[in-house]
Formats: sequence, structure tokens, C-alpha cells
Amino acid sequence: MNRALYVAKTGLEAQQFRLAAISNNLANANTYAYKAGRAEFDDLMYQNIRQPGAQANQDETSTLPSGLQLGTGVKAIGVQKIHTQGNLMVTDNQLDVAIEGKGFFQVLDQGGNLTYTRDGSFQVNQNGDVVTSSGYLLEPNINIPQDATEVSITRDGGVFVTQPGNVEQNQVGQIQLASFINPAGLEALGHNFYAETTASGVANVNDPQTAEAGALTQGALEASNVNTVEELIGMIEAQRTYEMNSKAIAAADGMMQYLNNNV
Amino acid sequence: MDRMLYIAMSGAKEVMLSQANNANNLANANTDGFKQDFNIFRAQHMQGPGWESRAYSMDERPATDYTAGAIKVTGRDLDVVTKSDGYMAIQTPAGDEGLVRTASMQVLENGNLVDVSGNPVLNEGGIPINIPPTKSITIGDDGTISIVPADSPSNQLVVLDRLRLVKPDIKDLQKGLDGFSRLKADAAPLVQEQVSVVSGALETSNVNTAEALVRMIELSRKYELQVKMMSTTKSHAQKSDQLLSLR
Repeated sequence: MNRALYVAKTGLEAQQFRLAAISNNLANANTYAYKAGRAEFDDLMYQNIRQPGAQANQDETSTLPSGLQLGTGVKAIGVQKIHTQGNLMVTDNQLDVAIEGKGFFQVLDQGGNLTYTRDGSFQVNQNGDVVTSSGYLLEPNINIPQDATEVSITRDGGVFVTQPGNVEQNQVGQIQLASFINPAGLEALGHNFYAETTASGVANVNDPQTAEAGALTQGALEASNVNTVEELIGMIEAQRTYEMNSKAIAAADGMMQYLNNNV
Repeated sequence: MDRMLYIAMSGAKEVMLSQANNANNLANANTDGFKQDFNIFRAQHMQGPGWESRAYSMDERPATDYTAGAIKVTGRDLDVVTKSDGYMAIQTPAGDEGLVRTASMQVLENGNLVDVSGNPVLNEGGIPINIPPTKSITIGDDGTISIVPADSPSNQLVVLDRLRLVKPDIKDLQKGLDGFSRLKADAAPLVQEQVSVVSGALETSNVNTAEALVRMIELSRKYELQVKMMSTTKSHAQKSDQLLSLR
């Protein structure tokens, strides 16, 4: 069978995969703390059809000066999360916290497992505990007293509240941040959560502004780091490359059709 | 039967192989760092007394086109591309040194600096680079890797290592069956050289898509030509059968 057909097929698949990654980025262009994913490709193995230097025939003086190695196409090797900082958007909400740096907030999911997120749009649940918008508890737990009139969160993670009849602010907790040596290796769980994997390395937990954790900004959220212009360009590129590969399929098909009709 | 049929058949077969190569270039039009392969046809004479009246055509991949692709800015610190005629070295899965112009690097959990497929990036001594916990990594113009260590109180940059940067002669480069470019066995070993490195950018594939599309059409038509020759041979044979048939 015609190899060109299969090679061009891998090209179509790769572009379709790329378009899916781009669509996901565009769909999340307004998701707080979303990190853009970039589709990565690799060329497939090459096949040795004729070895360079092989004998062309029985006459020993004749060898092939260069052989024929045919590539077998392209494959998508994955979507790499690009963990660059997103813009900070000021919301003036007391419990919105943005991270400037490499860290992640630690939260406990329903099963009590530690997951990680950079989405700092926190709220208070019925017990006064600080939770994410999906209701996951911040770890270590921070409880805001019922009568607190104001909450302030410092750059280095201290959580202070103002209570009636009390001139000084009371510290009610300390936010800690986890960082990973290879954040690209984290498993994206959806809902802005990430889980630790062997590729990401173990979480390195520190107070903000120490080690590689980064600092906190109260009253702000981190916007998605999707560059929409870049994604649109990528979309055009993917579409055109797809078209070219489908042309290659049409050409290979045309060749076989001609052969079938004329011999 | 006239040997013309076999000549035309081999012509068609070789054109089909060439079409596959061209399709591979097109399929990798979006693969960062991919270098397109050349494809040429060569006349291969039959050897021996009385045989040289016929020449078969043979498709070959004589070399790879090592011209630079376009540089696209990604803004990611660990995306690097070498400028001009420079290359950087990675360790291929086969364990030897592969030469690349661009790499989207990552730091693994054990601190190893690897490319996007997990192949270790080599330092100027030719050994894989290891990065300790850091606040940030910067790759300088000459391939110097500087880091701010995680435990540094003052955000002071520390020089850690340097990429292995070389300037091979293009004639000495060869693409292997695994797709990695490496130095030919008989070439002189490469030494560290002054090569500019840009970080925050990747090199796109150097496939010339317009050229590849034109070539695709050209190959399709050439194929039809060969098939036409085959059908001509068929009608020749039919005619001679008719003329010589016994009534």
C-alpha cells in the first residue's frame, strides 16, 4: 500500500490533537489561575529502505552512495503545561489571594487528599473555615471568627482578623505554599486542581516569601496565562497544516486511482 | 515481454517512495526543530555486457536540509534555540550525543534537565545537567545556566553550568533512523564553541510547505506518466499479438 497515505494520516491526527489543545486553552482564557497547555510533537522512526553503502549489484565496485531512509510521520507526545505567571487582577475581595511566584495553595479534597491549586478565590464555609470555591478546605486549616469585621492577609501568608472591641489584629492562621521542582509534571485534575506525581517531585512546603514559594497579594486573583493572540495564530497554523496533509492524502489517493484505472 | 514495462514499474514505485518522504516532511510541518529531508532520483544503470541500454531510476535521501527554521517567541525561560550555525547537545535514547538547534527543556523531579521527550541535556563536559531546587533559572546568551537557589536569602544569581554548544560542519551531520541528528562516525570530535543562545523561543520546523506542495503535485504527475508508459506497453503487446496471431 501507499506509504504516503499513512504518513499523511499521522499529520492529520497531530493537527487535530493540536487543535484540541488550542481549543481547551481558548475555552479557559478567562479561567482564574488556568495554565496554558502546548501540544508537542516528535517525528516518528525512520525506515531504512536502502542502506547507504550497500552493494548495488554483484559487481563489487558499485555501492550506493546514499541510501533511502523514509520517515513514517509525526506523533503528538503530549500537552506541556506552561507554568508562567498570569496577570494579577485586582478584585478588592478580602479573601481573594494571588500568588506571585512558583507556589501552589494546598487544599484537602472530599476524600481528604492533598491537592494543589493557584486559584485563590477563597470563601468561608458555615463553620468559618477558609475553603475554595468548590468547598475544599485550605491546608493548614484557617478559621475566621464569626465576629471578624476585617480579614487581612500579609505578603508572607499571615492571616489577621479585626474583631469588635479589640484594637489590635489577631493572627488566626498562616498560609503555606507548596512548590514543585517540575510543575509541568503535575497531573491536572480539572477544576483548577493539580495532583502530585512522580514526575513533578514531592511538594516542598514553605511559608510564602521563603525558599521558592513566592509571595501573596490580598484582594487580587491570578488570571489565566493563555495568550489569545498566540492561540489564534496556532489555530490558523494547525488548520493550514491539516489542509496540506489532507492534500497529501488526496495526491496519494489520486496516484492509486490512476493506476487502477489505467493498467 | 519488453523490459520497458519493468522500467516504468520501477519508476512508479520509486516515485511513490518519494511521495512518502514528501508526506513525512509535510506531516512534520509543525514539529518544532524538525529538519526536512531531501529526496532525489538517480539513474542506476544495469551493469554487465549488453545491459547498459536501460537505466532504472532510484529514489534516494542524500541528506537533510539543515537550514534554520523560523524562531517563534514563547516566553518560557526553558525554551531555547541556538543562533547561526550552532547546535546544542542532548543525550539520545541510544546513549550517544545528538545535536539539536532547539529544545523545550524541563527539570525532572531528580533535578535532571531534559528536553520535551525526556532526553538529558548535556553540559560542556558532555554529561547530563542537574539543577538543584531553585527560585528561577536563566539561560544566558552563551549558554550559561544561572540559578537563584531555593535557599538563597538575597535572590543572588549563581552560575551553575553551561550547555554544550558546538559548530559542526553540516556535511558531517546525519539524521539517524530515530530522527536524531548526530555526527558521522568518521568526523572529527566537536569542541565547545562560542554560540549564541536565545531563551524564551523555539525554532519551528524548516519545512518549506509551498515547495512540498508543488513537489507533491509534480510527483503525482510523474507517477501518472509512469503508469501511462505501462499502459502504452500493454497496447504495444496487444498490437503485436494481433499482428502475429495465427488465423
